Parts: sequence; C-alpha cells; structure tokens
Amino acid sequence: MTTKLPRLAFRNIFRNLRRSILSAVAISVSALSIVMLFGLLDGMEIDMANNLQSYYTGEVRIRNVDYEKYERYNPLHLGVDWEAIAPILMDNPSVESATARISFPANMYIGENSQVVMGVGADFSTEEAFIDFPAILKEGRLPEQGKNEMLIGSAMARELNLSIGDKVTMLTTTAARGSNAITLQVVGIATFPVGSLNTNMFWAPLDRMQYFLRMEGLSQEILVLLKDGAKESLVAQEIHDEISQSLGIETDTRSWKDLNIMYSMLRIMKVAYYFVAIFFFLLGSTVIINTTMMVIFERMREIGTLSALGMQGSELTKLFLLEGFFISVIGSGVGVIIGMIGNYYLSKVGINFTDAMSGIDLEVSSIFYPQVNILKSFFIWLYAVVISSLATFIPSRRASKIEPVEALRYV
Amino acid sequence: MCKHDKSKKHLLFPLLLLLVFLPSNLSAVSAEEIIQKMDELATFETSYSTGSIQTKDRFGTKTSTFNAWSQGESDSLIEFTSTAERGQKILRTKGSLYLFYPDAEELIRLQGAALRQSMLGSDISYEDMTEEKNTLDNYKAVLEGTEAFKDTMCYVITLTATTRSVAYPVQKLWIDTENYLVWKAQYSTAQGRLLKEMEVLSTLEAGGRVIASETRIEDKMKRDSHTYMRLDSLEVNPVLDKKIFTLENLTW
Repeated sequence: MTTKLPRLAFRNIFRNLRRSILSAVAISVSALSIVMLFGLLDGMEIDMANNLQSYYTGEVRIRNVDYEKYERYNPLHLGVDWEAIAPILMDNPSVESATARISFPANMYIGENSQVVMGVGADFSTEEAFIDFPAILKEGRLPEQGKNEMLIGSAMARELNLSIGDKVTMLTTTAARGSNAITLQVVGIATFPVGSLNTNMFWAPLDRMQYFLRMEGLSQEILVLLKDGAKESLVAQEIHDEISQSLGIETDTRSWKDLNIMYSMLRIMKVAYYFVAIFFFLLGSTVIINTTMMVIFERMREIGTLSALGMQGSELTKLFLLEGFFISVIGSGVGVIIGMIGNYYLSKVGINFTDAMSGIDLEVSSIFYPQVNILKSFFIWLYAVVISSLATFIPSRRASKIEPVEALRYV
Repeated sequence: MCKHDKSKKHLLFPLLLLLVFLPSNLSAVSAEEIIQKMDELATFETSYSTGSIQTKDRFGTKTSTFNAWSQGESDSLIEFTSTAERGQKILRTKGSLYLFYPDAEELIRLQGAALRQSMLGSDISYEDMTEEKNTLDNYKAVLEGTEAFKDTMCYVITLTATTRSVAYPVQKLWIDTENYLVWKAQYSTAQGRLLKEMEVLSTLEAGGRVIASETRIEDKMKRDSHTYMRLDSLEVNPVLDKKIFTLENLTW
C-alpha cells in the first residue's frame, strides 16, 4: 500500500485541478518573488562591490593614520607619500596595481553662480586598472598630465550646461590650510554608473591637483587592487607592516570590506531577507493548507472507505502530505524557473532607478542588473518545498484522526 | 587773611563747578560721536601697510604675510606674499569683494554668506579683513558707560545692527576715551551668542593716530583656534595710483 501512495497522491492532484493549480500558483508566486529579490540583492552586492573597489576604496586603501580623525576638516596636509609607498606596493606579490588619488570639496564658479562639487586628482595611467574610462567616456578625451583639464559626469554637464572646451574656476582649501583657485577646461564627459559621481564630481590630473592643493609629492589616499585569491584584510595588514618597516610611518591601511558600512549592511540585509522568505512561503502555504483542509472534508467518504479497508492513520497523513508535497514541488519549481528567466532577462536590460535614486548618495549604480544564481535558486526551491510541505502536515494529520465509523456516516 | 579767604572762595567755585559738570561732560559725548570718531581715526585717505596673519589651531601654526593698500572708507586691496598664497589678492570696493588667484583665469566675486568664510583658514573672515568704516550706516550705538581695560579708560558701547546685511548683529566695543582705539570687541548674534572676540595686544603711532599693531582674534565657532594679526609697517597717506582699486588692475 505504501509504495502505491505517491502514485495515488499524484493522481489526486488532478481530481480538482483548478484548486491544485491555485495552490501551486500561490507557492509559485512566493518562490518567484524570493528568487527575483535575491537576484536583485546579489546584483546590488556585486555592483556595490565593483563601484566601491573602482571609485571609492580599491580593495585596500592607504591613508595617513590621522586623516579619518580629522576628516570633516578636509585635512589635506595629512597626506601619504605616493612616491615612497609605490615601490613598496609593487614589491608585494599580492598587489596587482595601485593608484594615488586626492579627493577634495570645491566651489565651482560659473559666472556669478557657485556650486559645491567634489574634485578628484587622479593619475589616469594607473587608474586604468580601476576604472574602465574608455567604456564610460561619452564625449571628448581623458585629461592629460600637466594640463589644467578635467573630466566631468554627464549629469553635471547637462545641469550646468557645460560642454567640451568650456572653462570653469574651482575654489578650495589647500593642504597649506589657505585657499586657492584654478581654472580647468572640460575635455571629457563621462557617464559614471553611480549617480553622485555623475552629478557632482570632476576628475583632473594628479600632478595639477597636487600643485593646486599645495601637496607636491603627496596624495590623500592610495588605492590598491589585489591579485585573484588574495585575502584583502591579510594583505592590508601586510602592506601596513611593510610601510611601517621601510618608511617608519604609521598608516591607516584597511581592506574595503572593513571600510564600507553600506556594503556590510547589505550583507546583513541579505541574511534578514532569508527570514522574510520564510514568511513569504508561509503566506503562500496558507493556500495549500486551506486546499488540503477542503480536500479532507470533501473526501470524508473516501477516507472512511480507505480506513475501513485497513489503511492506517499514518498512511492517510502521508497521502495528503504527499499531495501537498507534489503541489509544492511543481509550484515552487515553476516559480523558481520563471524567476530565473526574469532575472536573466533583467540582467541583460537592467532596471533603471535613475529617477528614483536622484539625490541619494549610495555607492550603487542607478541601473540595477539582477544576477542569476543557479545554486541559490535551487536552495530557494528546496526551501519553498520544505516549508510548504511542513505546512501541509497540519491539516494532513487531521485525516489520520478521523474514525472510519464517523467517516462512513457521510456515505 | 580775609583777602586770602576771598581768593580761596573764588578758586573753590569754579572747581566745584568743574567737579559737578565733569562727569556729565564726559557722558555728554554721544555714542554716535564716539563711533564716528573711531571710524574717522581708523580711516586714512590712503595707506600702505605690511603685516602677517598667524593662525594657531589643532593642526599647528600657520603664518601668511601680506601687503595692503587702502583708500578712504571702502576701498582696500590685500596681496599675499607668503609662499603658499603668493600672488593671491583680495579687492574690496564699495559693496563688492573680489578674489584674484594666479592660476584662475577669472576673478571670484564673493557675495552674501560667502563673505563670512574664513580667510586662509584663520579666525578672520573676508568681511572682517576688508570691512568698511561706516559703522553708523548699519548699527545703532548705545553708550553703556566707561570701564578700564588694561589700565586704559574706555567707553563701552553696544552696537545693534539696523540692517540684516552685517556679519555681526551685536557688537560690544571697548573704545579708548583718549585716542578712540578699539581695545576690545565682542561680536555676537542677536540672541547674545558670542561669535568672535578681538583684543588689541600692542599699538603703534602713525599719522598722529594710535593704531593697533598686534591683534588677537578668536572665532568662538572654532575649537582650539585663534589668530594674531600683526602690522609690521604702516605708511599713512602715501600717493597711490587710483587704478590700484580697479578690477582691471587686479590681475597685474
């Protein structure tokens, strides 16, 4: 009898197909939502990691040990000696590439109007490893070392009505804690993936910014990219020690994961979403519970007959549990597959959040590209099947408690 | 003897009269007159000075040197000569303040709140450095009384702004009763919150007037920061080319 139970349970699904489909759809929608949500979160995590490593911190960031303490005062005089540190980094076998940057706030003057912007002094030859400038450059070219030139974001160009060849004057506080202004010519317009980079940031040659900011030979920070497989926090410690031994100076050298709160938050958020998923599936399972309960009441006569013929209570429970299990398997399977197809499609075309994210200073791109993760999707399917099947267990147990005599009253 | 007594009486009367009227004579000087006199004595037809601004803050000590020219109550030009700021200039003409930087192709005109920004990271704002000497156009003055400050008798005057365009809604000044030098000043908000404090540490004489040669300024909005402004030399009424205070000339 036990071996026939799965076949019997599977056949029973088709006895009231519409109700079975309704149950399957509920589970399916839950699974689809979770697969797409996780696809989106995975996409955000990868995107944020890429942006943080390319535009903000590299995989390891080196700064003056006191910089963070006084960061709100823009203490450019607390710089790091790029020329002295670069050879040490190149000698480290885990280091792939390194670049020096100076980030600083400035007032951009266009005629009588001024706007607060962020400037970045960068060496475009070493930046190649970090940022794919040719891919994001929409107009013009990259600024050249030794020239008062700059690259701006496309949103900034549009908002301030700036085009290639225009000149603007920047006023800022220097490392000498005085003020200085310089006129830069727009030679390139790029579309950066992150909204804030696009709207209020300009990039200029490192040597000119060192001169402008009175930071000859110094940079505000050094960003490092590591070879595949290198453990960021271990290499960060290694670099810190090497600089300390060679130059006798203490630096604030940390891995990007230790520096970015938002990234850590995103990872915590993902764990939280696993709990959210439980509620999604429980919600979807209420339809199965309801269907199973209805089925038990409807098939009371059948249950009575089966009991009278000698079927055990536990076998009856198994029968209904298997029905729920099959519906869960099919429903969540369909949901997961549709979710994966949806994620695959969106991973190609992207979801544009440019308008919704305007004014939000977050290191994620304004166009999200969800990720397809087969292993994770399989686990979501398994997760959905287990929770839904367990939920079916509650009404299924009722079938085992029905007395044959009582059930046969319905005959 | 009697004659002698009579002559004594003659002396006593005017002396009593003087004693009775002397305090009222002093207070008879109105607050407006004191401020007017203070502005007059701080204003030169033309002047040329050299000096330095030394700022001490949490990051250490920074010194900037300058040459300054002034004309009348509203025109002034400052050119910085220290290495970090060499060639930078600040021009104030009636109602406008312009900054010139050697690497900038255009002049920057500071307006409104930007005028209150710190100059070279010091405790002095652009507005402080180039303020016009027409106090009574913007403030109502009240004489609070007299008070000794560093063994010098001073008028204590409270200035309350009558316009919203000034940096400090309330100023309390300690003005020398003899030479009208402002020995001490406290600048506050209308609600009485102290924003800045100024104190003269030493003086010099030029053109028959007493001028502050070393001043300590403390911006109360900044923590652990104060600035010393020193005048190394002051030439009164030199012959200046009138073009000095024009925009065209600013870029020379």
